[in-house]
Amino acid sequence: MLQQAPADTFTYMVLGFAVILGAIALFLVSLAVRARNLKRDLVLLAELEKSEKA
Amino acid sequence: MEASPKALRGLTWLTAALFAVALYMVLFYAPREMVMGDVQRVFYFHVAAGWVGALAFLVTAVTGGIYLARKDRRWDNVATASVEIGVVFTLINIVSGSIWARPIWNTWWTWDPRLVTATIMELIYVAYLMLRQGIEDPDRRARFGSVYGILGFLSVPLTFLSIRIFRTIHPVVVGSGDPTAEGAFDMTPRMLQAFMFSLLTFSFLYATLLWHRVRLGRLSEKVEQLKMKVLSA
Repeated sequence: MLQQAPADTFTYMVLGFAVILGAIALFLVSLAVRARNLKRDLVLLAELEKSEKA
Repeated sequence: MEASPKALRGLTWLTAALFAVALYMVLFYAPREMVMGDVQRVFYFHVAAGWVGALAFLVTAVTGGIYLARKDRRWDNVATASVEIGVVFTLINIVSGSIWARPIWNTWWTWDPRLVTATIMELIYVAYLMLRQGIEDPDRRARFGSVYGILGFLSVPLTFLSIRIFRTIHPVVVGSGDPTAEGAFDMTPRMLQAFMFSLLTFSFLYATLLWHRVRLGRLSEKVEQLKMKVLSA
């Protein structure tokens, strides 16, 4: 029986992993950016609160 | 936000290490599938991402139920965090499946029961996040989110079972599927090992991301409280 070679689907594999890893990386970046912004807000609000008390 | 606890830092590093090993196993350890070729390697993370999506939505339903029973908003925070992760991983599952389908089914998309139910599930939870944004009162928002999260979970078993009860071309990994499915294959021991390891790794990834996201939610609540305090002063 003749054995066929596997289909050449390397490009699709690369595309698949680019999407998977890219989406996870984007989510991680989004978490980091949101945390940084919230920390900034927290500092700013704490300063505002302090200045209002003074 | 206080510094990450030691356990979270440890878990993050452990997950990163597991992810690196999983990537190695998927790309180099598992053999190339004899018919589909390299694109079949997407399968390991495609299924693992789907698993994370289902697990995340299950956690949302459970924590929603706990919130309704205890009225403690910390549980609502966990539910929301879990939905966000579930939405990201379900999207990964759908898009990576589409990329796998292109050379195997000769199309990016087909109105197959699995593809349709998975997309409906994704849209249900995207709507969850959007609708929450529109509710100002935090208690009402939490109550709404909990009920929605429990009802929305009905879409998860429907998605899982769709390829087992309807005529479909989507292959079944666990159990037996439709004999007309296209893209099915027998897993060699190495493939099975890579698959199981990917599932384990993505479970760890989910736990790690959930912990980080829950902390972010807590910080957001703290900022909101402080904002109200400053505005009312």
